[in-house]
Amino acid sequence: MTMTKTLLACVIAAGTVAAHAEVATYAIDPSHTFVTFEASHFGTSTLRGRFDKKDGSVTLDKAGKSGKAEITIDASSISTGVPALDTHLKSKDFFNATEMGTAKFTADKFNFSGDKVSEVAGTLTLLGKTQPVTLKANNFNCYISPMLKREVCGGDFETTIARSAYGMAYGLNYGLPDNIRLLIQIEAVKQ
Amino acid sequence: MLRAGLAGGLAGVGSAASAAPQEFAIDPANTHVHWEVKHFGTSTSRGRFDAVTGSLVLDREAKSGSASISIATGSISTGFAPFDGVLRGHYLLATAEYPTAYFVATRFAFHGDALASVSGEFTLRGVGQPVTLRALRFSCRVDPEPVAHEVCGGDFETEFNRSAFDITHSLPFVADRVRVLIQIEATRR
Repeated sequence: MTMTKTLLACVIAAGTVAAHAEVATYAIDPSHTFVTFEASHFGTSTLRGRFDKKDGSVTLDKAGKSGKAEITIDASSISTGVPALDTHLKSKDFFNATEMGTAKFTADKFNFSGDKVSEVAGTLTLLGKTQPVTLKANNFNCYISPMLKREVCGGDFETTIARSAYGMAYGLNYGLPDNIRLLIQIEAVKQ
Repeated sequence: MLRAGLAGGLAGVGSAASAAPQEFAIDPANTHVHWEVKHFGTSTSRGRFDAVTGSLVLDREAKSGSASISIATGSISTGFAPFDGVLRGHYLLATAEYPTAYFVATRFAFHGDALASVSGEFTLRGVGQPVTLRALRFSCRVDPEPVAHEVCGGDFETEFNRSAFDITHSLPFVADRVRVLIQIEATRR
């Protein structure tokens, strides 16, 4: 009970954390940062998968309302829950994970709505091709983690990409979808 | 693997409704239970259960059906192994004591010819509660390989409070409300 009260006090305190004038750096928390994709399976059901290995950091200037992000995703860490499908997705038909191991998202344009990040725009490099991508924030918040005793900022972002723009064209001619929805959970710890 | 189903998507458009109840077995490769829960009011944590088995009966003419689905709770997967271990523990899913969650549905509601919802009882951590899954989409197709067979499936969603199943650890920092997204495809027997 005491612990709950302490945690609650932290959460309430976090709501009043003032914007800092300086640029702060945040390191991605891998336990609360995931990219999940959704693809229609022959118009019947929605296939979901995620990438388990990622790394990166974000700089945020809340007062200046700007930021930068650099996040790398290990394509070989793809996980759908179906090992045979994972193997196919890692192959040259899709991610070519052995030769092109990493996808990279680099952002240098943060849009704000009030105090909250509303959009992050940059580029996604996949299979050696770089295309502009804008992530829309469905939620954004900062809080003081009672475990880490540090500020954590994060949220839910989403975008839809056309995989053909990166040269990933397998199955397009017989009905596999081009548009892939990406749902991004991110939390990053202030350094 | 993906190629097998493809032509089926095209062939399935004309599949007709049948008069009698038909039995379907769940295709585990295209059936997953995903969940979403808000973490510190900030981001959405997601996970899934990888081992889902079961069968359903569908009578598209009488517009009725039933389903029986089992989920191996130990197959929970978030992508972060230490977190999976915590979720399997006594204070959360208690997978050693409660290795299986069940959904038994007895009421299929249709809107016109389209399946609209599936209602029944969900048993998790030994607690049974009424649950209704809303159909976001549902359709049937004929896959050609290895021999032509009908596949029906879709996307369903529901929400419940985990506290209703006595899963109260980390409240309120991890939200009580859990959104569940079900991808399901089932092959006609």
